[in-house]
Amino acid sequence: MIDLLAYAQSASQINSAYYLLFLIFYMLITILFFMPGVQQKMYIYFISRDIENGLAKIENLSQSAKKKTIDLLKKSGAKNPEELADKFAEWFVIDPVSIEPTDIINRMKLLIRTSEDKIRQTIMLSLPNLDPVTRSKIEVSAEILNALNTIYKIVRHYLLLGKKLQSYYILLQLQSIVPMLVRMAESYEKAQDVFIKGIPVGDSLGPLVASRFLMNIKEKWSPSREMVAGETEFEGRKLIVLKAEGPMATVGTPGEAVENIINKLEGKVVRIITVDAAAKLEGEQTGSIAEGVGVAMGDPGPEKIAIERVAAKYNIPIDAIVVKMSMEEAITEMPKEVYEASEKVVEMIKQIIRERTKPGDTVILVGVGNTSGVAQ
Amino acid sequence: MSQSSQQQKVVVTVLKCLKCSYTIERPFKEGDFIPKIDGTCPNDGAPLYIWAIYAKPLVEKK
Repeated sequence: MIDLLAYAQSASQINSAYYLLFLIFYMLITILFFMPGVQQKMYIYFISRDIENGLAKIENLSQSAKKKTIDLLKKSGAKNPEELADKFAEWFVIDPVSIEPTDIINRMKLLIRTSEDKIRQTIMLSLPNLDPVTRSKIEVSAEILNALNTIYKIVRHYLLLGKKLQSYYILLQLQSIVPMLVRMAESYEKAQDVFIKGIPVGDSLGPLVASRFLMNIKEKWSPSREMVAGETEFEGRKLIVLKAEGPMATVGTPGEAVENIINKLEGKVVRIITVDAAAKLEGEQTGSIAEGVGVAMGDPGPEKIAIERVAAKYNIPIDAIVVKMSMEEAITEMPKEVYEASEKVVEMIKQIIRERTKPGDTVILVGVGNTSGVAQ
Repeated sequence: MSQSSQQQKVVVTVLKCLKCSYTIERPFKEGDFIPKIDGTCPNDGAPLYIWAIYAKPLVEKK
């Protein structure tokens, strides 16, 4: 009986001690919770962890792209592949001044061409006997490596800045866009394999359509840098077909090519038809076709405006046919749906020519996009 | 169908005879491009053109 009473007393003491500890713990938590800055520090910690996970993925993708570029350079016989890859990764182009927009297109064109030339020269200095197809693969790899390295460095910059300044809002904004950037980086890295193998990508839709007309034309010429043109007759009309020179991975200079041809013909062209891949909105079907007006081209400016200017000068209507696809599909293997759409687009073009032009007219067809794996 | 099997794709090359429309499909190999001539048609001996190169799901939807 005495033992039982002693046990009950000790049990009651233990319960009281636990209760006291429990009370102190919750009081501390409550005090901490209402202390200024503690909550924010907790949020910053969790957000930073989330961003760091995304950043680690981007870093891995960037490293993988660098390794693939080095391997490609080694395979092609370069003596300094690591040095070249570092150069490509850190390459930059300074935007032209935009607060004074006069002549910005010419300045932009100059900067784009200079950048392309410089990268090409760098590759050719190291590999003077390189064939154009392999050179274009190295150029695309360099662009992908540069893009991934830039994404990685910018995310890292804002993460470190947010942590240094303890700025919840910088980190919150970064956290909201990091998943999209990771997705973009994954697409780029996947695209590198596709371009290295020389597989047509979704964006090759325009060149594929143009190649259907060009493949039966014997005499072709180059109207501008990395472009191919051919002239054929379609139901009494003169049809001039243009695309980038394949099967290299290039988009060519379609604007300059159209401008040169129309100026040479002194504006005697009744219609310009442009065909390109277009970014689909979420919910839209890959391979769906849409028709509209204007230059179908995802160019930074110089090429697209060249067509608009020459068309406006001679009052030539411009038709646009686009095939929808996601950003990832545009830069990775052409999906079957896009190939099937290309066959329908060929028929649509023939129909447009029949309905909107007369025999004897001259029509220009431009297949816009990267011509990787599509010759002419 | 699971998400992973939906995403698994295979790249194929389609060869076509422009004379008799005979077509044959095979896995893509490096060096293939449209419209490269790759062999002759078993029906009429005309050139077989690489007509298409695209990615299709490993398990096609029925």
